[in-house]
Amino acid sequence: MTISTQASPGELGFAFGAMASACEVRIAGLPQKQASLAAQAAIDEVHRIERKYSRYRDDGIVATINAGAGGSAVECDTETIDLLRYADTLFEASDGRFDPTSGVLRRAWDFGRKIVPSGEALAALLPLIDWPAVELGATSVRLPRVGMELDFGGFGKEYAVDRACAALLAQGVRHGWVNLGGDLRAVGPQPDGAPWSMGIQDPRDASRTIASLPLSVGAIATSGDYERYFELDAKRYCHVFDPRTGMPVSYWRSLSVLAPVAVAAGSCSTIGMLLERDAPQWLDDAGVPWLGIDHTGKLIRGALDPDVMA
Amino acid sequence: MQLNDTSIPVVATGASRTKRALGSAILGAALALPGVAPPVHAEGAPESGVIGVRYLNYRDWQPGFDRIHVSAPSAYFLVPIAGSWSVSGSGVMDTVSGASPRWHSSVSSASHLADFRRAGDLRVTRYESRSSYSLGVAGSTEHDYLSKAASGQATFSSDDNNTTLAVGFGRAWDVVNPVNEVVSYQHKSTSDILLGVTQTLTPKDILQVNMTYAMSRGYLNDPYKLVDQRPNERNQAALLLRWNHYFDGPGTTLRLAHRFYSDTYGVRSNTSTVEYVMPGAGGWTFTPLLRYYSQSAANFYYDPVYDATLGAPYPPGYGNNPTALASADARLSAFGAATIGARIAKDFDETWTADMRVEYYQQKSSWRLFGTGSPGLAPLSAIFVQTGVSKRF
Repeated sequence: MTISTQASPGELGFAFGAMASACEVRIAGLPQKQASLAAQAAIDEVHRIERKYSRYRDDGIVATINAGAGGSAVECDTETIDLLRYADTLFEASDGRFDPTSGVLRRAWDFGRKIVPSGEALAALLPLIDWPAVELGATSVRLPRVGMELDFGGFGKEYAVDRACAALLAQGVRHGWVNLGGDLRAVGPQPDGAPWSMGIQDPRDASRTIASLPLSVGAIATSGDYERYFELDAKRYCHVFDPRTGMPVSYWRSLSVLAPVAVAAGSCSTIGMLLERDAPQWLDDAGVPWLGIDHTGKLIRGALDPDVMA
Repeated sequence: MQLNDTSIPVVATGASRTKRALGSAILGAALALPGVAPPVHAEGAPESGVIGVRYLNYRDWQPGFDRIHVSAPSAYFLVPIAGSWSVSGSGVMDTVSGASPRWHSSVSSASHLADFRRAGDLRVTRYESRSSYSLGVAGSTEHDYLSKAASGQATFSSDDNNTTLAVGFGRAWDVVNPVNEVVSYQHKSTSDILLGVTQTLTPKDILQVNMTYAMSRGYLNDPYKLVDQRPNERNQAALLLRWNHYFDGPGTTLRLAHRFYSDTYGVRSNTSTVEYVMPGAGGWTFTPLLRYYSQSAANFYYDPVYDATLGAPYPPGYGNNPTALASADARLSAFGAATIGARIAKDFDETWTADMRVEYYQQKSSWRLFGTGSPGLAPLSAIFVQTGVSKRF
C-alpha cells in the first residue's frame, strides 16, 4: 500500500494492485492514522476475495471446484454458495446470455497470439458452457462434465468493491470511495457534502473521458471492448464472449451502469455487453441509469439519466 | 450529467415500462449478498455492546481534619439492538462516611455521618440515518433523600455529518426527609433544557457549543446546616465550549474546554480544562489533565463573622430576622480551585480495556480569579481515584 500524492488536501489516496488492475481507496475526513488503518482493512478484504475467487490461483475455491469437474460435488462455504446463487440470478435475468461457465472459451481465444480460433475449436468447447447442468446444492457445487469451469468474472471484482466499502464503513469512514480497475463505489460524499466527480473513460482514448458523473453514494461499473482485446483485419475481438457462439460481442464499445452497489452495476454492464443491441431495453427495464458508446461511437443514454443517481 | 465532449451525438433510447424484465431482480439479489448492502447507518449507532465495572474512591480533607470518604462500586452496560436501537444503564452503590462539612474553619464540630446510596439509570436510544432519539429514567435513594428523574434527547446531523444539533430536556423530582427532622418530606423539582451544536471544522478539529438552563423550585436548603436559608427558586445557566484538535504527527489529541456558569443565587463561575490524549505503543493511552475553577459567592453567603450575642454559627442579626436568606455553605463561597490528574488506559485486545483515573483537587479562597475569595475558609483537598475494566462484545 502506498499513499498516492494526487489526493486533494484533507484526502488520502491509497493505491494498490489487485485483480490485475490498478486500484485505489480514497478516504477523506479522517486523521491519517485512522484512514491508513481503514484503507488497509479494505485492501486486505480485496486481497482475500482475490485469493479466494481468482481463476488464476490454484489455492482458491474456484480452482478446487474446477478441479472437481466431472467428479463429486465440492463442499463450499456460505459466501461461495451465496455468490453462485447470485450468478444463477444473472443467468436467469439475462436469458442465459450471462453464463458463469463460459470462461472455458479462454482456452480457444489466445489474446497474446491474436488468433481467431477455428469453428471446430469453438464447437468443441460450447458443450462445456452449460450453467443449467451445474448442480448447486445448499452447501456444495458440482460441475457435471470433465473440462467445465466456473468463473466469477462479471461480479467477483465488483463484489470485492462492495466488501471493501463495507470494511471502510465499519472502520468509521464516511467520506471516500473504492475503485478496483474502473469499478467503483462511493461510501459517502466529500467532507463538505459535495459529490465526487467520477469520470467515464473514452473507450478509444485512455487519456480522455466521455462524461463525468456526480456520485455521493452508490456505484458505477463500466464494461468495454477495450480492456482486453486484439484487432485482426480491422476487426476488434474483445474478451466478452457470447456463450451461444463462443465469439466476442461487438455492439458496444463501452457500457457504464449506475446502481446502489457495485456488484449490481457490474453485472448489469456485463449483461448489457452480452445482450448487444437489446441492452438499452433490458437496462431500462432493469431500472438502472446507464450510459453507453455503441460500435459507431454514438453516446447513448438510458431512460433514467445517470444524473438522477447523484 | 456534464458531457466533456459534445461532438458525440446523444441518442436517447425510448423506455418501455410494459415489461419489467428479470433484470430488476438483479439489484435485489445483489443486495442479498453478504456485506454488500449499504448499511442504513444509523448515525453513531453502536455496533458492539459494552459491559463494565468501576470502583471510585474519593477522600477529601482540610488541614488536620479528614472529612469525607466515599467508595462507590458501579456497573454499566450498553447493548445495541437490531442495529438501530440501544439500551444502556448503570447502577452505583455509594458508601459515604466521615464528618459532615464544617461551616467555617473557625468552628470545629465534626459530627459523624455515614450513608449509603443506591442509584441507577436506564436509557433507550433509537438511531435513524441522520438523527437519534433517546429517553431515559434515573433514580437514587438514600435514607433521607429520594430522587427520580426523566430525560429525553434528540440529535440531528447534516447530510455531510459535519454538523450535529442536540436538544434535550430533563426533569427531576426530589424528596428530602432529613434524619434531624428539621423538616420532613420537603419537595424539590428541577427542569432543565439543553441546546448544543457540534461542528467538524476540519478533519482534525471539532468544536462543540452546549447551552444548558436549569430551573429548580422547592426546598433547596441544606437541612443539616444550622443556619441555611436559601431562595426556593434557583435558575442556572451554563455555556460550555469545547475544542478538540488532532495532531497528525504524534497522533495525539488536545482537548480544550471552557465553561461559563451563572445562577440566580449570584454565583458566577468559570472552568477551564486542558487534556492531552497520548496513545502509546502496546495499547496504552496516557491522558494528563489540568483544570482551573473560580467562582464568586452567592448573594446570601455570609463570611465567618458571627452574631455578637448568639455566637457561631449564627450570622450577625440572626436573632432579629431568623428567616433572612443566609448560608455558610462553603460551596457557595468565593474561591478558586485547581485539579491535576491523569487517566491511564490499556487496551488488552479488541474487547478488553482497563483504565485508572487519578485526580488531585485543591480549593483555596485566595485562588479565586477576578476578585478576592471568601475570608476565613480553610483550604480543601481531595483525591479521586477511579479504576475500571470494560469488555466489548
